[in-house]
Amino acid sequence: MSYRYSDENTPPPARKASEVAQTTFEHVYEVDPRLMQTHVLQQVFPNWDTLRIMHARHDHLEWMHHHFAHTTISGSELMGDTTT
Amino acid sequence: MTQLEPDIAPDALQKPFTPGDPGNDPALEHYPETVAGPVPLELTDRRTAEFVEEWRNASYNCYSSGHKFCREVCPVMQVTRNESWTPTAFHANVVAMERGELEVADIAADYVNCTQCGACELRCPNTLFTGDFYRFRTRTVDVVKAVRALAVESGVHQEQWRTWNERTNDKTHEPVLGETEISQENVRNWAEGLDIPIGGDTILFVDCEAAFYRTAVPRAVAQILQKAGYEFGLMGEQWCCGGPAAEMGYVDQAKRFARHNLDNWRATGTKRVLVLDPHDYISFTEDYPKYFGAEFDIEVVLVVEVLADLVAQGRLTPTESVEKTITYHDPCRLNKRKGIWEAPRTVLRSIPGLTFHDVDRVTQWSYCSGGGGGLPVEKPELTAAISDKRLGHAAELGVDTLVSACPWSERPLSEAGDRRDIDVVDIHEIFAESLGITVGGSRGDVGDRRCGGGGCGGGGCG
Amino acid sequence: MTGETELATPTVSTLEHPPTDLIDRVVERLHGVLRPDQILTGKTDRYNRARVPAPFPVHRWRERVPDLAVLPESTEEVAAVVRIANELKCPVVPRDGGTGLTDGAVPLRGGIVVDVKRMNRIHELDLENRTVTVGTGINMLKLNEVLGRHGLIYPDDPASYPCSLVGGRIGTSGWSLIGARYGHTRDLVLSFDFVLPTGEILHVGDGIGRKISKSSSGYQLKHLFMGHQGTLGIATKATLKLYPKPEAELSPFWAFDDYDAAYRFTGALARAGVATFAGAVLFDEWKVAYLRRDDEAYIPQPADVRALTCAVLYGWEDEVRVGGKRLFRIAKEHGARYLGDEISEGDWAARHDRYATPLHGRTKSGQVVPMSWHCEDAAVNYTDVPAVTKAWHEIVADLRRRTDVFDDWGMFAYTSADTGVDYLTEIDVGIWEQRLDDAAWAMWVQAKRDIAAAALAHGGSISACHGSCREGEVDLVPRELGRGFDVMLGVKRMLDPNNIMNPGKYLLDFAYQGDVSAQLDELRGIR
Repeated sequence: MSYRYSDENTPPPARKASEVAQTTFEHVYEVDPRLMQTHVLQQVFPNWDTLRIMHARHDHLEWMHHHFAHTTISGSELMGDTTT
Repeated sequence: MTQLEPDIAPDALQKPFTPGDPGNDPALEHYPETVAGPVPLELTDRRTAEFVEEWRNASYNCYSSGHKFCREVCPVMQVTRNESWTPTAFHANVVAMERGELEVADIAADYVNCTQCGACELRCPNTLFTGDFYRFRTRTVDVVKAVRALAVESGVHQEQWRTWNERTNDKTHEPVLGETEISQENVRNWAEGLDIPIGGDTILFVDCEAAFYRTAVPRAVAQILQKAGYEFGLMGEQWCCGGPAAEMGYVDQAKRFARHNLDNWRATGTKRVLVLDPHDYISFTEDYPKYFGAEFDIEVVLVVEVLADLVAQGRLTPTESVEKTITYHDPCRLNKRKGIWEAPRTVLRSIPGLTFHDVDRVTQWSYCSGGGGGLPVEKPELTAAISDKRLGHAAELGVDTLVSACPWSERPLSEAGDRRDIDVVDIHEIFAESLGITVGGSRGDVGDRRCGGGGCGGGGCG
Repeated sequence: MTGETELATPTVSTLEHPPTDLIDRVVERLHGVLRPDQILTGKTDRYNRARVPAPFPVHRWRERVPDLAVLPESTEEVAAVVRIANELKCPVVPRDGGTGLTDGAVPLRGGIVVDVKRMNRIHELDLENRTVTVGTGINMLKLNEVLGRHGLIYPDDPASYPCSLVGGRIGTSGWSLIGARYGHTRDLVLSFDFVLPTGEILHVGDGIGRKISKSSSGYQLKHLFMGHQGTLGIATKATLKLYPKPEAELSPFWAFDDYDAAYRFTGALARAGVATFAGAVLFDEWKVAYLRRDDEAYIPQPADVRALTCAVLYGWEDEVRVGGKRLFRIAKEHGARYLGDEISEGDWAARHDRYATPLHGRTKSGQVVPMSWHCEDAAVNYTDVPAVTKAWHEIVADLRRRTDVFDDWGMFAYTSADTGVDYLTEIDVGIWEQRLDDAAWAMWVQAKRDIAAAALAHGGSISACHGSCREGEVDLVPRELGRGFDVMLGVKRMLDPNNIMNPGKYLLDFAYQGDVSAQLDELRGIR
């Protein structure tokens, strides 16, 4: 809602998500930083930018579904009823 | 057949693995490296060499993909269909400079053709799908700014930009009134009669376009905040935020202006800056932190987000019916560059009487007014074409009014709207009307004319 | 197996670019038929029309730079440009989206790039006959934004869907992700206006109008003028077949313990004969390992998820539900584990524009490097997919044994048709372009020959999707086409007497070199 330098540059503590990835915000996975130390270095990334990209991705995927079809049927709706 | 049973002598590369997993076969680290890579080129121009060193990886990230998903969302590309002026080209040129194929003088003029709307870098899979994962995203806007800066440092100027920034430097504000000179003494004229104090904990920063040209916007903002009992003052000695100079490549000037403003906030004990203009919001949340680092301890707040909050809390309840059929223009610097699209819609949906034909924020990634990044200063004909395209989308919805939330978009959009008989109003103006506020001020030449001759005093204007 | 594809060194190599005085004369003449803003001779204009996504050594960029580019706005303007080029014998290279992977839009001998992007108008929308007539510079996503308002869709859906253009789809005879339901570009394009290398204008397609989908009158020329990679001319205006925008979409993803199970299941889905079935995709074990690098859907998956199959259905909601239930029954029989709605829906939506991103690249020890993505494809029958998959991974493993310039990003097999007869198989290879020197490039070109040879050895085609005119793979085209390649040479010679149209592609220079049967025999491995 508002911008403060100190807030934006302090991400939540990372939790291990796999041998090569970690997670910070909900729905945000990040590369294990030890893999970006030689050839490509990470950019300064304020929190708002991480969240902006994650939300934009979700919105974009939603948009793509609607672009190709009016509704999306969930597999879970059909799974329970595979006898007929 | 299975993939796990190779019929020749097995080695570590014959089965799938995820590189970097500590459980991998240690043999993976010990294959010989038989390829050396091409010999890097020694660039003779020091500035170019430094520039290339800084931006090569960011540009390679685009060059090596070459997807071009940016192309159809780029506002300039949409009206010119010229691949030389695409985000992809802006990155490829950097790679060509690294290889000594192009020099800054070859490329500078191409980089005029960008509004810095940010659509390309958001739509790029390197941002949208993996930018947050790697903390490494496409930075076309930064590259465009850096090339413009390199050009200026190298003495390659675009004439209109040079003049614009010289005049801004002279008068501490942008020359938004054309031949009519701006002056520091007049920067608070828009607030006449509103009785706003100077300085204080929270100040309202008003961009040059709104302070001198579309004065109805800051008047609307100030009166809405007063109505909600939100305390704020005006800046002691406000200068241009410096953002436009930074966008056009005049970096030293931009930094000087930024320093002045920060020092001035300090001098009045200001802790929080309210911003009504998306361009200022970018300057204060992206440029200033880059210039000042942790020294920049000012809280930056966007007015439209404050208003959405006040509406949600019930502290502002519009009661005056506004009988208009509208659509909303997502300003690029809010929607694409900041992900701010919800608050303006919350504000608009609170207004009684409005018929709102909304277009979703993702579709609007490819919309733009053409008013940003210095484009209207150097190539007004492209700005006009981009605005015309935007109004074409609005016209298809059968609306009578296009609402924007960015003063810099409103001048070109109004001109394009006039040709289609569509009013272009600012979200703060229309919201103020619905709160029963008599806004006053000017809505620009087109806006005032369409209101029936200057100075929109009446609440029902438009 | 690498290096087994020993072929004669191709006799056609890069020839000289046109001399400066010729280019000056061309530019002067072009000013007689185009406005100045349509004629681009600047350095950046030319450098940025030399490239496509497929990696190429950066230090050799200069070789592919055209002498100028033009931005025509009508069929007549294209024809006027081509007539001048033909008269003055200057190369012409058609360029549409420039998103292809076999270098069709890359100038090999300089000349004029004819960039059709300004021809992006919708000329006519015929709601009764369900067609739209467009300039070939239009993009499918942008077209569908307009068609969607009429409840219609043009379902040509490549991985470059948001950026490739209709004209490029014609020039490459594109493949569509949902082609099993709607057909591919050649089925969806009814007819088009086409500028021949002599500058004559031809209308290609069935019937005397624009909108006939099937005739049996005369030779069927439409296929000839699709997929030629710009060597026969330039499509300028096309009439396309439209469908109702689907009411519903279903895109389930299923996981398996191993490739074999996923492979058997994919075949069963494709053979099921469900009318709304738009395609199935098989992700092999390398692909799943690759996705675990950075794909949020697969990072948290348990280790026993090693191969995947997804299917997609489009149509009316009631039809999709019935068809979907049938597929879920088949899944149950095959022990397939449904990956859940969130992954299924999210992952499918990302497949319409999923070009790989450079930071997927890794050294073998795991460091992130910015790699260019290259996708090698083939058309292979179902029964040959596993063998080709295995052979291709071994070719890439051999590259990786020698250098970290190359990385294996796994393989997909996609259904091409509604019966499951054949699959687009693709191997995604990361290539570290910043370090691509002449030695690495030579290794890659040889690998491309080997990859193509493996597809042919299993009765397939070098390409289902991209075309096969890039260095390396192109050497095997005479082997694949047999006598058909001689027919290609004859057609080229007849339609393009001066070899001005995209010269140097597809070994078509042979068409102008008299008796080349010995060279062709050598390329075909007949000695």
